Amino acid sequence: MYCNQRPEKPGNKKEFLKKITNMARANSLWVTAYGTGCGAIELRPLYTSRFDMERFGIAMRPTPRQADVLIISGYLATKTLKRVIRVYEQIQDPKYIIALGSCTINGGMYFDSYNTLNVLDKYLPVDVYVMGCMPRPEAVIDGFSLLMQKIKDGRAQGWKHYKENLDYYRENQKKIITDWDLPDYNW
Amino acid sequence: MIDKVKKELDIRFPLLKLVREQHNYLHVKVAKASVVDAVLMARTCLGFTTLQLISTVDRLEDDVFQMTWILENQGACFVLLISADYPRENCIVPSLSQMWPTASTFEREIFEMFGISFPGNPREGEDFLLEGWKDMPPMRRDFETEEYSMRVFGERQPREHLDPRQYVGDIVGEWNTPMGRKRKEDK
Repeated sequence: MYCNQRPEKPGNKKEFLKKITNMARANSLWVTAYGTGCGAIELRPLYTSRFDMERFGIAMRPTPRQADVLIISGYLATKTLKRVIRVYEQIQDPKYIIALGSCTINGGMYFDSYNTLNVLDKYLPVDVYVMGCMPRPEAVIDGFSLLMQKIKDGRAQGWKHYKENLDYYRENQKKIITDWDLPDYNW
Repeated sequence: MIDKVKKELDIRFPLLKLVREQHNYLHVKVAKASVVDAVLMARTCLGFTTLQLISTVDRLEDDVFQMTWILENQGACFVLLISADYPRENCIVPSLSQMWPTASTFEREIFEMFGISFPGNPREGEDFLLEGWKDMPPMRRDFETEEYSMRVFGERQPREHLDPRQYVGDIVGEWNTPMGRKRKEDK
């Protein structure tokens, strides 16, 4: 089942309401349990008792419908990108993307691969990049705290940017996904 | 075991060439017309009932694809590799999917990666890893992977190339990188 309606532009809230909601959002980030590349291995110690990300209010959710954050962990193949778009668009607003590793920034060691894309933010709006190959769990925690700070300041607006510039993102996505069979709007 | 296998193969296939042998391993090369006979004989008479892998090597210099069928006799812990050379242009290789259903999957992958067609495979041409691929098969050695990546995925501008020598001095030794090689030629 898809919703074929084009996404509506989000309305503006009052300033004091914004501050309260942003603070609440920043302290309860729920992450989709979905790994795209080798970085998913580095996330295991982060979830579990060694680094224990639940102390920051970050929890794993089994479905994108309950989550706020999508972690693109490492290299992203064009085949996976199609699934990632589907997952990202199912997440309820507001939603954020954290991209791990140098592969998502400029291709990393797979810059000349026929099947992994080089620049992620052409296809999806990225809020925080965490560099490294692969980033250690400490670096990922640092990325999360940066994201929290951005949300508190009201600067994590990637999801709004995606809605407003949907045509630009769709054009780029369709350029590399040659067998495009997703519906045009599937939230 | 090895003597028995060599004797049986020698009697039936006079054009057979020995590539490599160990106590539990034998690699032979047969003429391309007798591949199916050799595999069938190994399966029925010598007990090689497991197909481990079908592998392909692109020998661009000799203008051939070297196909290798890796069979295993699990009772005797013995591995038999049967190879044959096929010309690169419009390469057609007989399918073994009637003998082993697993072969169908290997052949689909080889068709996608090298463009080798296997008449008789019921699932030939189905997407395996690359969805909607329209270019030259990417594992052929004349496929320009970096050119393809730059054309389709692009790169982040401006891209900076940093030489580690600039930061740590000459203690790094000769780096096997394009930049390192260039520096060596300059000297």
